[in-house]
Amino acid sequence: MPHVEVLPNSAASVAPGWTYVVDTGYDPSKIAINPKNKKRVAAHPGGARGEHELTSRQQLAISRRIAELNKDNDPKQNIQIPGKTSTPKTQNARRIIQYQRQIKHWLDDEEAQLSAPPPRGATAASRIAAQPLRRSSTMPSIPPTPSEATPGPAPSTIPRPVHRETDDDILMSIERSMPPPLNPVELEALLSAPPLSYAASHVGPPPANGPPPRHFCDNCGYWGKIKCLRCGARVCGLECKDAHEATRCLKWA
Amino acid sequence: MPPKGSKKAAATAPARTLVLDNGAYTIKAGLVSAAPANPSYDDCVVIPNCVARSTRDKRTYIASELAQCKDFGELAFRRPVEKGFIVNWEAEKAIWEHEFTGAGAGEGLRCEPKETNLILTEKPNCPKELQKNCDEIVFEQFEFAAYYRCIGPTLNAYNPSSVGSFSALPQECLLIIDTSYSDTTILPIYHGQLIQSALRRLTVGGKLLTNYLKELSSLRHYNMLEETYLLNEIKEAVSFVAPSTQQFSEDLERTWKGRLGDKRELDSSIVLDYVLPDYERSIHGYARPHDPAKSRMRRGLQPLQGPREDLLPLGNERFAVPELLFNPTDIGIQEVGVPGAVMQSLSILPEALKVGMLANIVVVGGNSLIQGFMERLQSELMALVPAEYVLNLTRAEDPIKHTWLGAARFAREPERLKQVLVSKAEYDERGSAWLGKKFAGGEKVA
Repeated sequence: MPHVEVLPNSAASVAPGWTYVVDTGYDPSKIAINPKNKKRVAAHPGGARGEHELTSRQQLAISRRIAELNKDNDPKQNIQIPGKTSTPKTQNARRIIQYQRQIKHWLDDEEAQLSAPPPRGATAASRIAAQPLRRSSTMPSIPPTPSEATPGPAPSTIPRPVHRETDDDILMSIERSMPPPLNPVELEALLSAPPLSYAASHVGPPPANGPPPRHFCDNCGYWGKIKCLRCGARVCGLECKDAHEATRCLKWA
Repeated sequence: MPPKGSKKAAATAPARTLVLDNGAYTIKAGLVSAAPANPSYDDCVVIPNCVARSTRDKRTYIASELAQCKDFGELAFRRPVEKGFIVNWEAEKAIWEHEFTGAGAGEGLRCEPKETNLILTEKPNCPKELQKNCDEIVFEQFEFAAYYRCIGPTLNAYNPSSVGSFSALPQECLLIIDTSYSDTTILPIYHGQLIQSALRRLTVGGKLLTNYLKELSSLRHYNMLEETYLLNEIKEAVSFVAPSTQQFSEDLERTWKGRLGDKRELDSSIVLDYVLPDYERSIHGYARPHDPAKSRMRRGLQPLQGPREDLLPLGNERFAVPELLFNPTDIGIQEVGVPGAVMQSLSILPEALKVGMLANIVVVGGNSLIQGFMERLQSELMALVPAEYVLNLTRAEDPIKHTWLGAARFAREPERLKQVLVSKAEYDERGSAWLGKKFAGGEKVA
């Protein structure tokens, strides 16, 4: 028997009066089944979607915008190198000079290589490869390298511990509360860890318990206090709402 | 594959080294010899790393020729370096030839590659294929005598940590915040060696800030989508970082136009009018305090004769744009700001290293020149770092050339250089795959 309860949601303003709503709680699987049902999603802003969560259309618009802002070269414009250029000296050089690829092609190649099945079983590399797009939040657990697993003789090049430098200054008094000296094996593992892939090197999102994301007016940049009913973008007031609807509203984008 | 018939190696390594910090926006370059003279910022030349094409005077400018440009309107750029990595070798080759090896190269930088070593810096996390391309071009096309490729910011460890120290050894612990054109990276460096797994990258860099300002100005005032050069100039001239989140809110209030029927006067201590250059009488614009009367006049009431001027009012754009470095989520980038990125990077280091890193933070890169950046970074880091740690944060004296200077100091020691350089003969013998491995694992410098 489903539990029936009146939810104090903001749908009340859309449909006057009140209704019985089946409270199934937040169920991501339902959203996944029918993500295209935008009308229903829009009618339940406080329901399935959290206050600060975005529609798929908004997310798409944001990621397009970020890609646009981060673009290096405009592929449409073609600037020729003036004057005569020296000829490539080897076949190899000719091939490299003639590449017309952009950085995204190279990065995609790198990702594809990483996600190709590794020759051996569940190593750390395959864990990274399985989720190539996950950001650095996966990374802090450094894959234990063999040098760590087998406690061999520590190389003689291991430098002295760090806080020797601070011996003779005001840190003296709290020296005892200072951390233990560096473990040479751990340090060696840290220094010999291979570079991350480009995608994995990005920082993670802000912590969930931090301040909520700020919203700004889509038009003038002041606080975005009002949500556009059609597309969900934020505006600051009537004036900007009109401007927004005339130009930037995503409803028909 | 490299040609099999390898030439005889020169008996000794050349005395001169070309140090190239090959950035996406500018190349920092200089020739360093093993002479006892200490290299300084003055030995470094900053060259735009682009080929620019003007549709107005139908001219194409290569790299340093941009200084001759008199009309930056609708200037289109082709940049060989994307996201910090050399991608387009056709353009990069033309620029290098123009600046260093060709007949037209300036006197101070011209060199004969066959008699010169090359130290080339790269961004961290470069795709291996691109590294391979780079190595092959350096040896097969330019034929440098010997070559070392490494991650640029790590060489900052060779800059003296304090004025008095002249130690040739790299700094023990160093945390570099490199906030550059392409992105912002956090690099913990231990004895000159990057701790790769703790490196963190933030999407926000100078390019993104300029493009964001361009987008905002185009939306709110004129279409300036083709005016990248101008908007970059405006960004450098007027933007500032609000000292705190509270101050950000206050500034946002002060620059608000008010509601319909409740208009507010804009605070002219923040709002500026930027007088746009017309490229006839002026090449560069300038900013002055906002004058409501003048901007009303702008709407069609300009005098028919005499000087006309076009004004771009700048209100919250001034501080909302660089704010992205501290709050990338403002435009939906799901990343923490620079202070949070520092903490994320440090979080995987052992305690003892964390202490050392926090006490030796150096900021390099052009974005650190934005007014208020250091103060904001300092205060936000203070709030994040536990009280028992010593936090010491400095900006390099010249944040743009600092990495180059570190590289130049590195190149000055012949013994050290010899350990890392790979000669052309070695390359011809062993090939680029070997070279890639050597540079990837061979960054340990005693």
